[in-house]
This record gives sequence, structure tokens and C-alpha cells, in this order.
Amino acid sequence: MKRSTETANKEAQLFALEGHLADALKPITPPSDLVVRMRERIRFPQREEIVFRLGGWKRLFLIYGGVMSGLLVTITVARAFFYFLGKR
Amino acid sequence: MPDTEFNEEDVLTRASQGDRDAFGRLYERYIDRIFNYVYYRTGNLHDAEDLTARVFQRAMNHIKNYTDRGVPFSAWLYRIAHNLVANWHRDRSRRQEIPINEVPVLTSKGDHPEKNLVRSQEEDALLRLIRRLPPERQNLLILKFVENMSNAEIGSIMGRSEGAVKSLYHRTLLALRDQLGDQKINLDGE
Repeated sequence: MKRSTETANKEAQLFALEGHLADALKPITPPSDLVVRMRERIRFPQREEIVFRLGGWKRLFLIYGGVMSGLLVTITVARAFFYFLGKR
Repeated sequence: MPDTEFNEEDVLTRASQGDRDAFGRLYERYIDRIFNYVYYRTGNLHDAEDLTARVFQRAMNHIKNYTDRGVPFSAWLYRIAHNLVANWHRDRSRRQEIPINEVPVLTSKGDHPEKNLVRSQEEDALLRLIRRLPPERQNLLILKFVENMSNAEIGSIMGRSEGAVKSLYHRTLLALRDQLGDQKINLDGE
């Protein structure tokens, strides 16, 4: 009789523990900004992909040409600026 | 997109061929689960964010090598998450003591904030105890309670039979109950 009561008590304790576990371990929703931020991180191209993109000589030539043209424009604007500033 | 249109096998095939959009769909489908898993294993929002991102980055880098061996894709993701969390714990233990009593700072789905506050001390104590359990037991509890998985589903993820999961669960409950001896958590009714 005593043993069966003890067993029943232990069963009840385990049942109560399961209830506490269900309360403590609840699904949580990650904040939406976090999900977006992580998505951005994941979508960032891998190193291999960047190397692959730079691999094509046509694309490389275009990038090189673009950078040089940009530099040329910047230098020209800077020179014009100093020219007019010096005239005053 | 509705879940009915999601054919995991097809999406997996496309993702393994380098289709980023297909991988994006897998990400949308599993982000919550992996985040929950990592969050409960670390107890830290920032590290959970960092580790979850790394799980998906690693998955994306290795999805070409993914082969369907009859286990769900989620098992593969959980395995990656498990390994990263294990590394995280190892690195942390080398550097400093882990603040395992960090409180969950996110709101649970469909719960009242006041109710959360009232229960937080008990929950914290229990979460601390859970984080002291061996990783396999922690995984089991997270999958069972957070993910609401059946023993069979947990078994397919953990690589164990349904009976073995049931037995491990029972032993975990007994271990937790014994450890609760010194805690204030009332197991004899409210």
C-alpha cells in the first residue's frame, strides 16, 4: 500500500516536472529584423564566388575600365577646383 | 509561399545544384527551428543569432555534398547546429565561466508577458538545470518541448530508435527530478 502510494507520488512528480518543462521550453519567435539580418549575411557571396566573378577577363576589363574612368573624372574635377580656387 | 507548395525533395535538389532561391526557401522553413535550438542550447540571444547564421552559411557551403540517406533534412541541419554549439561551449569554457543563468529575453509564442514574469524565476532555475544536462539530453528536451516532436521524429534526428528515445527521456526526467531536490521548484502541486 505504502509502495503504491510512493509510486503514485513519483509519477505525479514526473507529470508536474513535464508541466514545468513545457512552461520553460516554449517556442520563441526570432525578431523579424534578426531574420532579415541573418538572411543578408547568408546571401553575402562566398569568397569562391567573388573569385569566380573576377575570373572572366571581359568583366575584369570592364571593372578596371570603370575604376580608371572614375579616377580620371575625380582627378579632373579636383584639378578644375584647384585651378579656379588659385585664380582668386 | 504556402506550405502545400513546398516540395522539400525538389527544393533540396535545386539547392544542391547551387540555386540560392531554393536555399532561401529552406532557410525560411527552418530558421525558427534552428534558432530555437541554438537559443536554448546557448541561452544567449546574440550568440544564438551568430551561430544560427553560421549554421545556414555552413549548410549553404556544403549542400552540394548533401545526400538523402533516409533521414530528414532537418536532422542534417540539427547536426551542424549541434557541432557549432559544441564548439561554442568548448571555446567559452576555455575563455571564461559561462553565464548559464542568462534569462530568455524573447517572448514566447502566444503567452502573456505578465505571466512570463511571474514564472521567470522558476523557469530560469529549470533552464539552468537543463543546460547542465549532457548535450544529448538537452537536444531531446528541446526537440520534444520546443519543437513538439514525437519520439519517432526525435529518433530519426538523433539516430536512435523510438524506444531508445523514450527510455532516454524517462531517465532525463528522473535525473532532473533528483537535481531539483535543492531547487525551489514545486513538484508536489501548486
